[in-house]
Amino acid sequence: MWKYILKRIGLALLTAIIILSLTFILIKLLPPQRFIGTPQQRTAYYNNEVRLGFLYSSETELEGVEYVDHLIYEDKTEIFYYKTPVMQQYISWIGNILTKWDWGTSQKIEPNVEVTVIMGARLLTSMKINILSVIVSVPLGIALGIWAALKKNKLTDHIISTAVMVLIALPGFVLITFLILLLSYKAGWLPPQWPSPTDTLAYRAKGYILPVFCLSLGSICGYCRSVRAELCEVMESEYLLLARTKGLTRGQSIIRHALKNAMVPIFPSIVAEFIGILGGSMILEQLYGIPGIGTLFIKSMNAQDYNVLFVDMAIFTTLGLLFGVLLDMSYGIIDPRIRMGAR
Amino acid sequence: MNEQQFEKYNNIPAEKFAFASQGDKLHDKKLDTKAVSYARDSFRRFCKNKASVVAAIILGIIILFAIIVPMATGVDVDRVGVTEGFLPPKLFEAGTGFWDGTTSFSRIIYDVANETPAGKEARAVLNLVVDEEPTLINQASPFATGGYIMFENQSSNSSTTNVLSSDTFRVAVNGNYTVSIKFGNIDEVYGGKLGEYRIYLSGGEEHILLQDWSSDYSNVNINISSLLEQADVAVITNARIVFELKSAQGKYSYLLIASCVFSADESVGEDILERLETVGFTNPSHMALLAGEGGSVFPDGYWSCTGRKGVYACEVYYCDFDYDPYEVVYGETEVIYTKTDLDRFVANGWCEYSFDRSTAEITFTKLSENCPFDEILSVNTNYITGQLLDVTVLSHRYVALGYTSMPKYLFGTDPNGVDLFTRMFKGLRTSLLLGVATFAFCFMFGLVWGSISGYFGGTIDLAMERFCDILGGVPWIVVMTLCILHLGNNFGTFVLALCMTGWMGIAGLTRTQFYRFKHMEHVLAARTLGASDWRLIFKHILPNSLGTIITAAVFGIVNVIYSEATLAYLNLGLQGTTSFGVILSDHQQYLQSNSYLITIPSIVMTLLMISFNLFGNGLRDAINPALKGSEG
Repeated sequence: MWKYILKRIGLALLTAIIILSLTFILIKLLPPQRFIGTPQQRTAYYNNEVRLGFLYSSETELEGVEYVDHLIYEDKTEIFYYKTPVMQQYISWIGNILTKWDWGTSQKIEPNVEVTVIMGARLLTSMKINILSVIVSVPLGIALGIWAALKKNKLTDHIISTAVMVLIALPGFVLITFLILLLSYKAGWLPPQWPSPTDTLAYRAKGYILPVFCLSLGSICGYCRSVRAELCEVMESEYLLLARTKGLTRGQSIIRHALKNAMVPIFPSIVAEFIGILGGSMILEQLYGIPGIGTLFIKSMNAQDYNVLFVDMAIFTTLGLLFGVLLDMSYGIIDPRIRMGAR
Repeated sequence: MNEQQFEKYNNIPAEKFAFASQGDKLHDKKLDTKAVSYARDSFRRFCKNKASVVAAIILGIIILFAIIVPMATGVDVDRVGVTEGFLPPKLFEAGTGFWDGTTSFSRIIYDVANETPAGKEARAVLNLVVDEEPTLINQASPFATGGYIMFENQSSNSSTTNVLSSDTFRVAVNGNYTVSIKFGNIDEVYGGKLGEYRIYLSGGEEHILLQDWSSDYSNVNINISSLLEQADVAVITNARIVFELKSAQGKYSYLLIASCVFSADESVGEDILERLETVGFTNPSHMALLAGEGGSVFPDGYWSCTGRKGVYACEVYYCDFDYDPYEVVYGETEVIYTKTDLDRFVANGWCEYSFDRSTAEITFTKLSENCPFDEILSVNTNYITGQLLDVTVLSHRYVALGYTSMPKYLFGTDPNGVDLFTRMFKGLRTSLLLGVATFAFCFMFGLVWGSISGYFGGTIDLAMERFCDILGGVPWIVVMTLCILHLGNNFGTFVLALCMTGWMGIAGLTRTQFYRFKHMEHVLAARTLGASDWRLIFKHILPNSLGTIITAAVFGIVNVIYSEATLAYLNLGLQGTTSFGVILSDHQQYLQSNSYLITIPSIVMTLLMISFNLFGNGLRDAINPALKGSEG
């Protein structure tokens, strides 16, 4: 088991390194953007880029190379900044991260602020919403699924199944837009925008309701559908019939035998849903104005703030891979057959 | 059979025996039943699933529309006709109440003078219901009558007073100048109380008391001229009437004035009378609005105040009605045609006219139904030469806009005045094209990749799997972003980026299917009989796995459309092309004001998604070879 886990982690790590390297190189291949701001900010930014090894400076204009920017100081001295070759940048980048954990500074979003600082608070916000929605959706989804399965082919089941089908087909952004319109603007129950930190605690707490609901709705439907399918299959199995024949009541047999076995494929799907939520939250963050990593992604992409964009991409990639590993491990933990089989 | 019966057969002589089929050749007998082909069987099973059939029909209709509609209607989707924007969906004639292109308004202030809801054109108003009773509002409105000017003294200090004064006017001893003031006697407005007031006339040096501190809130008539005479003042040219309001202890005090009318004998002259009329007011609401320049209420104009002031209890009528914007945009209205237009109509043989330059009179005869108007209302001539410049006629505006009849938009029009029905299906066409193009590539590449990986296994499989792991580890949004940044935002980039992430799903599925089937007995049997790899793959493995793969590919199309719409919603969508996502994201901002713009595309999108899902499910069951011939 341990060997299996270690192998998976090692593989994910290797994959992460390759992907991040490729992403870094692809981003650095793009022409660097000029810094727009006060001379002090510009000097600070370019000097930092030079220190990081992404640019190099020269006091005279080099021939045949296009400069990124040039600064003229009051004493008429000029400094030209040039782009370092990409592979050199790549080497300095690895060095910076390994020795100093330095991911560069933001160029346009929050000029000259460390990217890691910008990312920290936003990652926390995004994670809070995502984890909350998992907490909400897992019990609800499973409960609905069980209910539908127990009432199979009755009205309850038909209603739940149809609703699930429609909600899954309904594009997420449409749903979010309409929910904001109905619950916030028309009814006025919930804040129409993510509350600012200056608002009261109660108002801020209310601000979580809509995003968490929107994010969990898709997962609820997903869990409900798979729980129903699994449970229906298990209910028709012979061992459940045996359980009934040996004298267990319907409730006993379902709780002790059916549910336990039906849960085997569900648990990994929780981890899988979590990866899905991470992607889905980008649209929600954008529409609801949540200062999370999703909004930051779009913002940095539109502003072409490549340092921020890269770190954001790195976070999305690493999170995805991390949960992939968790997914594989969860299979091993929950299903003895896989645990035994994996040497 | 018992013993005796056997006895009977025991003694048959040898010559009685003959070969059963001597001389005949033995053949396999042809099947009596007709063979059912795989496709036919699949189709039969698909038809059994009612939901899938309905989904397929809906899907078919939508796709058919996406192909035909943009070609058939010939509407230029990129045209900009802003006046025709935001027309609601219309299927039935206006006034039927459902899908009739009208918008319902309720609680709109009624313009009593023009007999129409405020700011609306009377000809487009339907089902007008005006309140029987007026509603009292505490704000100035051009359509309000009655009510009071309310000025307030919010100070708790008893010695202070507040002042409301009019603009200047001229009063004199001669001329019988009077002022009549109507107060409002309503207590406890906003929790305050009516305050004690006094009125005087102020003009430069002179201060003439018109009425000392009083709590009389009935009508007050004051003869200014006689009071001037008492004070021995002949004339004041820049007089103001000033109300002073005493503050009340504890509570704030206020005074309500319904009207303030100045009058004088006619002998004083017309301009003075006119001035008096302007300074005074009978409608507080109008006065409050009139006094403001640029729409502001109560600036330092005719009536100014040191304290807070406002209007109180003005009467307005509210009304509910349906409004037909089609009538506003296309209906009969005064249209101006230039002489060039007119000459063109004549050249076309639609009408005749003759113009008399000296009298500026026009005679007009309509010859054809094509002529957009029946008669000419007025003419506009060059004031020096007397030449005809243009004519004003009563005509339907749709004629001027180039339509032959009143346009009717099934799904309304978008902000640019483009038919939403056409634009939506044009967008859908782009989205479907994107989906199909991506699907075609992903399907072919994924199938080949997955087949190789799955069939051969071993090191090849491992290497290919690791490659997929790495590429699959990149979130699709990252791939998309990198592609857009490097290659620009266009159709090709989208196909490329979506393919880069899309093919792995198909490849993985194909690989699993190959793993599942390659060790099956029928494959083993074929291999023992000497079948080549080629034959094994295409005859024995692929047909079995194709059902699952095709179903996944159908869901793949859905995913592409969905991804594109998502990107558009994030403002990263296709540029320069109308796609479904672009339409949705364009209309996002009109969610509250013109919700049909987003509701209708959303419904179509959802319908498409549901249909695709149901169709995909049905397809999976139908083309599963394991179920062939079953009655499931």
